[in-house]
Amino acid sequence: MSNAILVVGGGFAGLTAAIEAAELGHDVYIVEKTPWLGGRVAQLNKYFPKLCPPSCGLEIQFQRIRKNPRIKFFTQAELIGLSGCKGDYTAKVRLAPRRTAAHNVDFSLLASALTGETDSEFDLGLSKRKALYKAMPFAFPDRYVLDARALSKSDMARVAGAKFIEPAEEVREIALNIGAIVVATGWKPYDVTRLTNLGAGSVKNCVSNMQLERLASPFGPTQGKIVRPSDNCAPMNVAFVQCAGSRDQNHLNYCSYICCMATLKQCLYLAEQNPNVGITVYYIDLRAPGRYVNVLEKVKARPNVSFVKGKVADAVQTEGDRVKLTVEDAVRGEKLTLIYDLVVLATGMQPSLAGEKSFLPLPLDEDGFVAGGEEAGIFAAGCARMPLDVTRTAQSGTAAALKAVQTVKGR
Amino acid sequence: MAQYTLKPDTSFTRELQEAGGENLKRCYQCATCAVACPFAPANAPYPRKEMVWASWGLKDKLMRDADLWLCHNCGNCSDLCPRGARPADTMAAARNMIYKELTEPSIVGKWMSKASGLPFLFFIPAVLWLVVWAIRASYKGHWFPRAADGRIVFGEIFYGDYTIDPIFMITFFGACFILYRGVRKLWSMFKPEGELLVIGPKKSWLCHLVAVLMDEVVTHRKFDDCEDGPITGKGAANRKFGHMVLVYSFAILAFVTAVVAAGHWGGKIIPAIEIHTPMPLTFPVKILANIGALLMLCGLAALTWRRLAQDRANHASGFYDWYLLSIIWLVAVTGILSQCFRLTDALKPAFVTYYFHLVFVWMLFAYLPWSKLGHFVYRTAALVYVRMYGRS
Repeated sequence: MSNAILVVGGGFAGLTAAIEAAELGHDVYIVEKTPWLGGRVAQLNKYFPKLCPPSCGLEIQFQRIRKNPRIKFFTQAELIGLSGCKGDYTAKVRLAPRRTAAHNVDFSLLASALTGETDSEFDLGLSKRKALYKAMPFAFPDRYVLDARALSKSDMARVAGAKFIEPAEEVREIALNIGAIVVATGWKPYDVTRLTNLGAGSVKNCVSNMQLERLASPFGPTQGKIVRPSDNCAPMNVAFVQCAGSRDQNHLNYCSYICCMATLKQCLYLAEQNPNVGITVYYIDLRAPGRYVNVLEKVKARPNVSFVKGKVADAVQTEGDRVKLTVEDAVRGEKLTLIYDLVVLATGMQPSLAGEKSFLPLPLDEDGFVAGGEEAGIFAAGCARMPLDVTRTAQSGTAAALKAVQTVKGR
Repeated sequence: MAQYTLKPDTSFTRELQEAGGENLKRCYQCATCAVACPFAPANAPYPRKEMVWASWGLKDKLMRDADLWLCHNCGNCSDLCPRGARPADTMAAARNMIYKELTEPSIVGKWMSKASGLPFLFFIPAVLWLVVWAIRASYKGHWFPRAADGRIVFGEIFYGDYTIDPIFMITFFGACFILYRGVRKLWSMFKPEGELLVIGPKKSWLCHLVAVLMDEVVTHRKFDDCEDGPITGKGAANRKFGHMVLVYSFAILAFVTAVVAAGHWGGKIIPAIEIHTPMPLTFPVKILANIGALLMLCGLAALTWRRLAQDRANHASGFYDWYLLSIIWLVAVTGILSQCFRLTDALKPAFVTYYFHLVFVWMLFAYLPWSKLGHFVYRTAALVYVRMYGRS
């Protein structure tokens, strides 16, 4: 029997659930797959509703974790087994080696001296990173990671003698005794390579909306300047392709909820950087739920932003690495072929659990969202359950924490 | 501001759904299909607008739409459709409605629209040819007579001069007349209200017909052009090979028939060009006929295989599709079998198969205006029409 709660996933939903449960007096373990907490929110430039940078919301959460001895978190950790029953689970967790000392060491000099490079996962392939790296300045835990696979030969020699680095650190497995589980595994951007008619990821200046967040972020590959990946030039006309993979039975058979708002937000990024940039948003329906309609009105009022009803169904690379889109303006009944400097695919969110092997005894619906499991003391929060924005993710994290707490109360 | 009240006709929508467009209501007007179609012109592209008309049951608009016939049913739109609304099938269903309702007598259209009408369709030629057989049998004194030299000669029963030729001539020219009226009606339907102004030099419809035939029918160009749309990522066999082989086999057999008819009737005046049936296997016309028959089987096999291999989720095959494929299969198989039985001297099977061959051939041609085969006239007519008015 255990009063402790396991939270799978250290994104906004998981952090909220963990903090809420811990502040009610329960021991909480967070298991996070990546080296840092913060999840998808950390990758954003700004987020709703206040359009503030992610550090603003996350910093408070990290503070609460730091100050609360009841919360223990494991990064680079994965759940690899679960046994027992509601109220008395044993979770097996595999911890990948971080290979750096357990305290905050500034490796920036050593890191810059390394030669081996690989695609940055955090920047979604828009930049390269070294083998020794920290993805963001406000990373929590504030520790570097040594990715042994990305080391070049000379790097290995350089790293071998370095202080506070343990290249030989092994994988470890631990067992946690817990009473309830919060599943906050979150989402992944839909794989653009499956969008065959939209270039399948091979069109140079066709980026996804998450990539645009990285381009706009001051800590991103371009220090916040939104440029074309092919030549680092600022685009003069940009198109947004809504429902790129969402509301489509061949891809994601549901509305991803956030992409319309993300696009409106990104229109503001672009307009802020260059008021003359021409922006066209191609949509099926614009979905600005609740008070977000104010943002829609604000963007619509801008002189250089236009909205066209019609789904882009063809995107190809053309001269000068520009992108040619074909779309029918469904209101006028005209098929348009237009060329843009930069095209943003508003790809949707797919639950991280979709198509993945999971050790959680959870029923998933056909799209990969968690659909049940509460009777076993397992509660889904955030985008593991349904597409949500950050505000509602936080609410669902609190809700899941409350349910988890009730499950283990009094044991 | 002028007010316009739209009156949805739900019964027409239901009819369309039954005629093959069962998923049309799923459409949410995203306009993917209009881009998926490489033929859809920049101005008023299809099939999105047809989908909304179908959904609202705007029969008048849909039936008057020449674009229905510009669609060559490659299925790209259905492959990319995010809702599985199958626009290609809806276009096909709308064409089926035209086969059904364009020409009189409309009862044939009704029979032809669903499987329950098949017995009637079959019954008419079955009785017709049985009567012919019975009359000739009573005259010959035998149901399965042999020719004087002991060979099997189908003409003994189904005598060309008085039975086959007049009946088929009436059928053929009757069908032609009905198709002519159908085309006239179709063109008058296509014509928008008011005056249509054509700027620039005008050519007669005949020039355009020749252009359509040479540019599109002979080359089957559009079957390849269909592939120029956005990449759907879904494998679909091109119909060009099967369709082209089948069309050419029809052309060969039509030519053979014309030569034999000319030889037969012309031979009565100019004995030098007389052709006697059955022709020996080595006779050039016979060789050509058998090549035609074999090509027909190849084309049929390719098209049937393609239909069977289609992804059912995005492409449906309805009664119109299967009727046409089946009737051509039956014509080809009974035709080839009759020849085989005749050559192997199987007397009774030969006559029985030949009887069925006549029944199926008659069905193929007599019901052509109401069957999917009508597309070869109606589509050609529509392609000529749009060329005359500059839309392509």
